[in-house]
Amino acid sequence: MKFIDRIRSHISKITSNQYNIWAVRGCIFISVVWAYIWSLNGLKVNLELIKTSLPYMTDFLSRLLPPDLSILDVAIKALIETVQMSLWGTTIGAILSIPIALISARNLSPFWLRWLASLFQNAVRSVPSIILGLFFVAATGLGAPAGTLALGIYTIGYLAKFYQEAIESVDKRSLEALQVSRASWWQIAQYGVMPQVLPLCLGYTIYMFEYNIRAASVLGVVGAGGIGFELVNYIRGFEYNKATTMMLVLLVVVTSIDALSSQLRNKFKSD
Amino acid sequence: MEHLLDNNLPAIACHNIRTEYQSTLHRPILNGIDLQINHGEFVALLGMNGAGKSTLLRSLVGLVPIKKGDIEICGTSVDRKHIGAVRKNIGFLFQGGGLVDQLSCLDNVLCGCLGELTTWQSLWGFPQRDRRVAMQLLQNLGLQEQIYQKARQLSGGQRQRVAIARTLIQSPHILLADEPTTGLDVSGINQVMDSLAEMHQQGLTVIVVLHDLALAAKYAQRAIILDQGKVWYDGGCQNIERQFARLQSLSQFQSVNAA
Repeated sequence: MKFIDRIRSHISKITSNQYNIWAVRGCIFISVVWAYIWSLNGLKVNLELIKTSLPYMTDFLSRLLPPDLSILDVAIKALIETVQMSLWGTTIGAILSIPIALISARNLSPFWLRWLASLFQNAVRSVPSIILGLFFVAATGLGAPAGTLALGIYTIGYLAKFYQEAIESVDKRSLEALQVSRASWWQIAQYGVMPQVLPLCLGYTIYMFEYNIRAASVLGVVGAGGIGFELVNYIRGFEYNKATTMMLVLLVVVTSIDALSSQLRNKFKSD
Repeated sequence: MEHLLDNNLPAIACHNIRTEYQSTLHRPILNGIDLQINHGEFVALLGMNGAGKSTLLRSLVGLVPIKKGDIEICGTSVDRKHIGAVRKNIGFLFQGGGLVDQLSCLDNVLCGCLGELTTWQSLWGFPQRDRRVAMQLLQNLGLQEQIYQKARQLSGGQRQRVAIARTLIQSPHILLADEPTTGLDVSGINQVMDSLAEMHQQGLTVIVVLHDLALAAKYAQRAIILDQGKVWYDGGCQNIERQFARLQSLSQFQSVNAA
């Protein structure tokens, strides 16, 4: 804390001068431009590459059309499984996120516990969902159970952070007011914390459910069930028209769930 | 509990209170405060930013721990053991109201009687009797149309009046108000201060942190000016503007010397 204060006073001394402010802004601008050029060089992207790859892309896209609707029943069945995976995965993740969020929140936990909790959160967040999928496929075999568990763990990485922020945004004075009114711990939680935290958390959870439907489609690639499993099989078998049907069904569902969830989230926000 | 209402004892007595040392200030926020406030007084607590006004008020209800010295509210010392008994007699108005934005005005007012209810009693809502009292209080404060509105939809002045209703439902003997007029427009300020004056007329001891000297002179009988965690002036409100000007020139002189 002291060290930060000392640095801050130096920074404010430097930026208090008009010319220094422009020098600092110029430096930031140059470094951002440099970062972009550096990244582009690293990617080895050039115009020639874009030109030669264009025919391949159009070829691939043209083979996707028209969609083969004969497998619509398979697609819908796989999709239902995906939604089921997402529902349970999100729920498992949400339940596990609550205690982690509680011990990560700045207004509730001591520094050392917060440090451990955020280390855990970062560790979970940095594991790609595919790896989680492979891990659970190895543990429970191919199919939806592996995908559901993978989604559950994947969800913690995000919901724990969102819940933590919801808890941290609780107005401190409103809780102190209840404390002065001699409210018990439970009463403070019921009348002070819950009304402020719950709408935000429900909104985040619905968003995560929607996100997990898309994530579940990726998990199918490693055999963890859901629509992705069928999708990849069709693409590997060069049955692109059937793959298109799968993607179209997914698009319809994701769009409708997005519309529904954004309405629900708005309702929670205005409550 | 009877001695809490004993009018012979001062409402508030602080003996040399000190809070924890603050490295950023190079001193404790409260640095040896001695004061006594009797029942039925209307006291304005004044001072520059960082003088310790809010901290003093918060320490009276045990929201800020005291390192040294002691505080007595109606003869009961403010410590972990007696904090419940002390808070029973004190209503506290927070800056901005300290309401739960997502609850209705009615529920916010009812939160004031949580201390009288067990966790089990309040688990499924509030008793009808308390609801009637809360509605009456809101009506008395001119908020009959806002009873079922969410607190976040209220103006600053309305919020502060809901907060006043929340403290009144506890029927306290002492009212502490931490900058209740900050951020309000002129009519809001007048409404809030008039409500405080009315409560004072009904026999409450009122201590209010203010920034506006004219308001202090208009409503309060006694002014306490804090400076650097100590009582700098304690007396009538007749010449507080002169006292404040003296304090300002003194602190300017000190900061020039320090530089």
